[in-house]
Amino acid sequence: MSLWVDRFRPRTLDDLHYHEGLSARLKSLAASGDFPHMLFYGPSGAGKKTRISCTLRQLFGTGVEKLKIDQRVFISPSKRKLEINIVQSNFHIEITPSEAGNYDRVVIQELLKEIAQTQQVDLNAKQRFKVVIINEADSLSRDAQAALRRTMEKYMSNMRIILCANSTSRLIAPIKSRCLLMRVAAPTPEEMQTVLEHVAKKLKFDLPPEASQQIAEDSGGNMRKALLVFEALKMQSPDLSGPLSIAKPDWETYCHKVADLIVQEQTPARVMEVRAKFYELLSHCIPPTVILKTVAERVVERVDESLKADIMHWAAFYECRMRMGNKKIYHLEAWVVKVMSLYKHFVYNFDMSEFE
Amino acid sequence: MGNLLDVPIHRLMDELSVTAALRFNRSSNAGTAKRSSLGPEDTLWVDRYRPLRFTELLGNERVARETMAWVKQWDWCVFGKKKSKKRQREDDENFNPDDEYHRPKEKLLLISGPPGLGKTTLAHVIAAQAGYEVMEINASDARSAQVVDDRIRPALESGSAVGSTKPVLLIIDEIDGATGGDNSSSFIQKLVSLTFDRPRNKRKARDQREKRPLLRPIICICNDQNAHALSKLRPHARQIRYTRPADIHIVKRLREICETEGLRADTRALSTLVGVAKGDLRGCLNTLQFIKSRNEEVTEPLIRRATVGMKEADTSMTSVINEIFAPLSRKRIKELGMGEDEEARYVNRLSRAVEGLNNPSSIANGCFAHYANCRHHDANMSNHEKATEWLVAYDTFSSVMYADGDFGLHSYLSYFLVPFHALFRERGAQRIERDSTDWDNLQLTRANDEIYKSLSNGVRTSSGRNAGNYRHLITGQVLQLEFAPYINRIISPPLRPVNSQVIKPGEKALLERLVEIMVALELRFVQEKAEDGQLVYRLDPPIDVFVTYDGKRAADIAVSRYAVRHLVAAEIDAALIARQADAVEKGKGGGAKSGFFSRASGKKAEVPEAEPGDARDGGEGDSDRLRRADPSEAEPPNKRARSQPQEKIDIADKPPVDFFGRLIAVPVSKGGGKSAKGGGGGTKEYGVKYQYLEGNSAAVRKPIKVSSFL
Repeated sequence: MSLWVDRFRPRTLDDLHYHEGLSARLKSLAASGDFPHMLFYGPSGAGKKTRISCTLRQLFGTGVEKLKIDQRVFISPSKRKLEINIVQSNFHIEITPSEAGNYDRVVIQELLKEIAQTQQVDLNAKQRFKVVIINEADSLSRDAQAALRRTMEKYMSNMRIILCANSTSRLIAPIKSRCLLMRVAAPTPEEMQTVLEHVAKKLKFDLPPEASQQIAEDSGGNMRKALLVFEALKMQSPDLSGPLSIAKPDWETYCHKVADLIVQEQTPARVMEVRAKFYELLSHCIPPTVILKTVAERVVERVDESLKADIMHWAAFYECRMRMGNKKIYHLEAWVVKVMSLYKHFVYNFDMSEFE
Repeated sequence: MGNLLDVPIHRLMDELSVTAALRFNRSSNAGTAKRSSLGPEDTLWVDRYRPLRFTELLGNERVARETMAWVKQWDWCVFGKKKSKKRQREDDENFNPDDEYHRPKEKLLLISGPPGLGKTTLAHVIAAQAGYEVMEINASDARSAQVVDDRIRPALESGSAVGSTKPVLLIIDEIDGATGGDNSSSFIQKLVSLTFDRPRNKRKARDQREKRPLLRPIICICNDQNAHALSKLRPHARQIRYTRPADIHIVKRLREICETEGLRADTRALSTLVGVAKGDLRGCLNTLQFIKSRNEEVTEPLIRRATVGMKEADTSMTSVINEIFAPLSRKRIKELGMGEDEEARYVNRLSRAVEGLNNPSSIANGCFAHYANCRHHDANMSNHEKATEWLVAYDTFSSVMYADGDFGLHSYLSYFLVPFHALFRERGAQRIERDSTDWDNLQLTRANDEIYKSLSNGVRTSSGRNAGNYRHLITGQVLQLEFAPYINRIISPPLRPVNSQVIKPGEKALLERLVEIMVALELRFVQEKAEDGQLVYRLDPPIDVFVTYDGKRAADIAVSRYAVRHLVAAEIDAALIARQADAVEKGKGGGAKSGFFSRASGKKAEVPEAEPGDARDGGEGDSDRLRRADPSEAEPPNKRARSQPQEKIDIADKPPVDFFGRLIAVPVSKGGGKSAKGGGGGTKEYGVKYQYLEGNSAAVRKPIKVSSFL
């Protein structure tokens, strides 16, 4: 049928495996008839979207599962055509405005107005309002967030907004204050193990506890990743016995290679080698911030204690610069050179402060 | 008369030539005298001393010869076969044997080089020398795609200009300013198609008499060989790079001209002039004429004064980058007449150079590409650190500028790149060439982005009824970071290409699951022929690039062999057909139950009929050198028994998908008929029904009355 990630996704609030308190609260909210705007936030793979769709089902019944997918074309102010994929049912609509890049404001404005101005015509509907789900709300531009502010108040009677974000830090305060904040924390390894065992039980095979433990630990609180790993493992070695070797995603392995290169040698020639590797990673569409973070974490593992803080500091510094700039490779390399220089100073026992 | 015989013939000839020379000299002297005596001059020196014959061309002889050779290659085509034996043999190497007109392989000639060296003159002179009439299109004409149709094509097709007996040669001057780009309506595209399409529809063209092949040479002239607009032209053109001729030759020519014009000039002044102008002959002549008009003597200080504006004339990306990374050469310093301290003050000079190019981001890219290559001794990389800091600052600054649309900041951008001079300048370093790594990378990123898009499209719209169930997997970074690597592992289980009769139940389950997943995600194996002619199965969309880094696949993923992919591809096709059939049947309210039973019946009845199919299959396997293990060829019967007749047909003859339904129809219906009625003549009745349900594989199942089995 389908991938386990989807097949064993809980459909109702009762099916959810962890965060029972949150589920109970969502249930009572859905029953109260006074449903607020909501902002779900938490790390990737914690189950935000699962909870959102469970809540929707609680609100509207099974009708929300009849989805249709279409592509809408918006015209940007500069007459460029933006194609946005929209998933919708009779009761809700789901958009990812970050697909529109810099023009997400246009999408938000047009779409929300359109939905807000149409009333629910289905008399049998459980609720009078429609729900708009905005994915990746933290990558909304400032303009788009500002466009949301007033709409959220004005059209409250026809529409509720559910935002879904990894962190609230990039949302402007007015938006946060208009929403009910729902934090979906990453599951603990034990909770993940119960989920994995549940899956194994449903599929009627035996999952050795060591294996489930290893998968849970390896995926770092990301349930989606855990299930994908689990399925990949099951595909590759059907019996799951013996010592498991959990494959890291290839980009991660590659990032680690880069980190090793940096630690091994600090020369301009090595900078060029590292640059080639960065280009390779970037061309695989791996987000540069992720690259920087992964490489930095690996480098920090391998250097002396006294350097760790500095390396992380500069990683954060250049990540910030990178978000402001356009040419990501400059910033990645700037960090590499900085780390190399730090390392050399350390090796030669130079004191930085005397130098500057 | 007798006297004449006293004098030997060679002496007579000498005398004659001496008198002729004297007369000639006198007349020309009179001419120059007259010319110089004229007050305001009516022609530019540039025009007056433009070379008219091939032998008068100045400088780079190799370039001139090459151009001439290329033009001469057209002779057979333009003037007919009146070539000497020797030339023909020599030319045969260059000729494309398929070309019945014996045209050169590249039908365009692209001459590139800095301004003022005489590219246009060269082209005109050579055209005249080779016996052509020149038709010129330059920047003063409109150069839209329409021109190709309106002017160029008629001229080339008629073969000669109006009122002239000479064949026409087209010169397109300053072609780097023409409209380029990817759309088919650009000038360059049209021009290329003019030369390129022809041979292909040559046959047809003869009949229609509408499109005739290109039979006249075209010479394109540009300054910047790497101009973006020319990217489509370059592969189809013979490129000739025009370089600056040696200074000595230019000085010599200038001196001759000065003498003729009666202008006193010392060599030193002239060579200074040539140096400042960087070999720009036109610039030199104009300067000289300007000096002459003021009736002055040519001296070095005068030249300096007259050429103040000339210093910043030339800019190209590579020259600016070279200027940043290398100090000025002694010679150049002397040419520009700069003092010590002026040389040391580089900021103004370089920032103006960067600004002059008007493309700071490409300079930044060049600096970025190059700075780490500098062989600069630097123990703790402090220089590199500074350099990256400048780059980061540059990037931040420029992106702020673009984001806010505040282009007033543009004039400051160049200053971020000047410090590279102080940090990395190196005397005697190698010349820096254009580095395209960044650009290549960008292209690759775009290509991969497309693959992600098609993957996410497949994921989004696939699996019919449950459309949208996977949408959570493809938002944001999840797709790149988690889904793409793991889906690659999920779809490459360690299957062995074994006989499915001995396949283990575990493996069978694995295979079925794999097929399910691939169908659900719209992933397919597409058969293709590799370059060496071997058949391969390619994953489509090619998401396996995401586990391929540095051209190597991840070590933990087993390479799936041809035979395995073959097996899987067949199963996927079968599953797809089954799914379609299910959908149709459901639509008719037939229900899945009857489908199931019909399958069962089909299986029973079909086993004996499978043999011919196998034989065919085996044969095909051998001929294609499938490298499939022999036993694997025997596998179809069992596999078929498991999952349905459709795929047997599929293996037997893959390409014609249309045939599926009908070919399936025969065995199944026969089987049904046989088992139901004990063999014989049931086919006709069913035949009627097929027509009714034409073209649909569901038609196969529908008529099988399973109830008759029960």
